[in-house]
Amino acid sequence: MVGVETTRGAIATSRVLCAVAGFTPRVLDMVNLRTPIYVHPLQAMVSEPVKPWLDPIIVSGSLHVYVSQTARGELVMGASLDPYELHTTRPTLDFVEGLASHMLDMFPFLSEVKVNRQWAGLADMTPDFAPIMGVTPVEGFYLDAGWGTWGFKATPVCGKTMSHTVATGRNHPLIEGFTFDRFSRYQLTGEKGAASVGH
Amino acid sequence: MKIMVCPLNGPRPVSEFAYGGEVRPSPDPDTCSDTQWSDYVFNRSGSPGEKYEWWCHIASGFWFVVLRDTLRDVVLGTFPAEAARQGLPPAAGASAAPPDVPHGPGVPDGAS
Repeated sequence: MVGVETTRGAIATSRVLCAVAGFTPRVLDMVNLRTPIYVHPLQAMVSEPVKPWLDPIIVSGSLHVYVSQTARGELVMGASLDPYELHTTRPTLDFVEGLASHMLDMFPFLSEVKVNRQWAGLADMTPDFAPIMGVTPVEGFYLDAGWGTWGFKATPVCGKTMSHTVATGRNHPLIEGFTFDRFSRYQLTGEKGAASVGH
Repeated sequence: MKIMVCPLNGPRPVSEFAYGGEVRPSPDPDTCSDTQWSDYVFNRSGSPGEKYEWWCHIASGFWFVVLRDTLRDVVLGTFPAEAARQGLPPAAGASAAPPDVPHGPGVPDGAS
């Protein structure tokens, strides 16, 4: 590893950490690494504000819905991954229709509430739904990817363990279950149940 | 609503179809190494591009092959499964898998 070419010039470095979420496969092609990571869009949507009625977050594993109400009164709703590989963040009408239908199964009184906005992000997924973290077969190239449907709460300990890994060149003990080579060793880390919405 | 042209049923809403993953050649399990087998089982061509994929029309249970641009979500062609066995023209995308299939087309990812 000698450096990185960017749109604003070259950066000389002996160590590179790749943490680019839905763009991971494209970056890994640059260093000729193959991984199980595949990319599906993940969408969410927000309703217009209504009076406070929902205090907890509600998750339905069978309907693939999560919903909570913000301090502004808007309902924030999401569902499972889009059903096939795609590398664009354009939202779809299919998603709104499907999620709204499941919302009304649970809360029919919301039938007059309008959807204000929706969006999509790219989720980099692994077969065992656990991230891939740590050293790779390319010396000086470190990976923190495959976080797909995970939330932001894992971020602080990711920073701590990955900075330790980059500084020492060896995987931090806490990420031993997430190593790059676990698939070639057939030792997966099953985390599918950790997602609040079924996939 | 997106429309997919099924080789058996003609133009149908895409909601009637299930995605089965990229068409990938299977190594011979009797002769390949553990590394080759794990590469086949787990690794994927994750970058966007034009890829041959397995799709199934759910109502009729009909599996077929779709050439799709996974960056633009545009279907470039659909083929009956026999076409995969006879060899498909090379896709222009990022697929590392050659389109000819020496040991059968393999099992679609979503079929089990």
